[in-house]
Amino acid sequence: MLPILQVGPLAIQTPGLILLAGVWIGLSLAERNSQRYKIMPDTLYNLVFTMLVAGILGARLAYAARFPNAFIENPLSLISINPGLLDPFGGFLIAVVAGLIYGQRKNMLLWPTLDAVTPVIGIMLIAIPLSNLASGHAFGSPTTLPWGIRLWGAQRHPVQVYEMLAAGAVLWLMWPTRQPKEQPSGWTFLQFIVLSTALRLFFETFRGDSEVLANGIRFAQLSAWVILAIGLFTMNRISRQIKD
Amino acid sequence: MRFFSYERLSLTSIIILTAGAAWIAVTAAFAAPTTDGEIRAPQSGFSAPDFTLLTSDDESITLSELRGKAVLVNLWASWCGPCRAEMPAMQRIYEEYENDGFVVLAVNATNQDNVTNALAFVQEHQLTFPILLDVTGEVSQMYQLRALPSSFFIRPDGVIEEVVIGGPMAEALLRVRVEQLLEETN
Repeated sequence: MLPILQVGPLAIQTPGLILLAGVWIGLSLAERNSQRYKIMPDTLYNLVFTMLVAGILGARLAYAARFPNAFIENPLSLISINPGLLDPFGGFLIAVVAGLIYGQRKNMLLWPTLDAVTPVIGIMLIAIPLSNLASGHAFGSPTTLPWGIRLWGAQRHPVQVYEMLAAGAVLWLMWPTRQPKEQPSGWTFLQFIVLSTALRLFFETFRGDSEVLANGIRFAQLSAWVILAIGLFTMNRISRQIKD
Repeated sequence: MRFFSYERLSLTSIIILTAGAAWIAVTAAFAAPTTDGEIRAPQSGFSAPDFTLLTSDDESITLSELRGKAVLVNLWASWCGPCRAEMPAMQRIYEEYENDGFVVLAVNATNQDNVTNALAFVQEHQLTFPILLDVTGEVSQMYQLRALPSSFFIRPDGVIEEVVIGGPMAEALLRVRVEQLLEETN
């Protein structure tokens, strides 16, 4: 665990730094491969950057919309740097809308664009568990296995490491240069989503902080299963079009 | 790499989704909360580590005796800019919600601060919530203090709801979190 990186008088929040580095590395790698999908590197960069800015602003506005009274009393809180005042789901939706608007204005095709941004998502799926490992969040359930790590008063599954390794393996398999040229547009992205959600569904079992619904069902597993089903359904549709 | 072939995709999909659903059902039995209340640790979902400290007025305060109330434990020092910046907002929120069962325990990291400076700051800003003096650094150690300020929002049942490392905390954040904690009290 390394939540704070002390550089002289500066106390840098390591988890945030890891996420920023993840976006930068992911975007750089995606730019290098974007022309494979007939997308100019600058256009891809601007798309991701637009989505990122819209996502952060949207997350703050969505949070303010949920708790208007708190912000009416303290309007300056709208520009606070506290990440606790962000609504991740609202931010995600607004980022998607901003991405769609930008893509439409630049005449970007949906499936090649999704294939092109796959490395960014892949790197982020490695960066997020690494950031959680640094902060001690998203920790594992207690275990007696020899590779368990001591965290929060118990020997626990290093679930962040499991997730990182799994995400690394999926990214390696789905890396743009490893994809056959005759593959239909969107296939790389869909395979990536299917593999990532399947692994998420599997590794969530080893989490010690899962949100649990009725009958002990984990919310994250259920969400992963739904996304998995949508991904497989879409792949089936595409494959049927190819066969026809 | 083509991981899924087009030919047998329907069958593969059915197998994957069935296996996924079975895995969710089979592992659901292990989904009971593994943290709530069982282990004391300075992390959300765990019981807040208990401590007893003297205030600047020589009054003894024990965290566990505040069960039933919404508590904010804030570790701070007078030389820390963000700590100083968030204190006035904490005071305003404390005044507003004190009667509803909200308590602020401002634990001064006295082992790395100057008591005179700390008390002068308290006086200057007319802070009325308890200022606890962690002379030996015991609480800082217990709460694995890595940066100042560090804040722990504790539910009425003694479980940590949220940890905020660094600051200053916005007043809106304080207000929302305190209102959420108080909802659990009522």
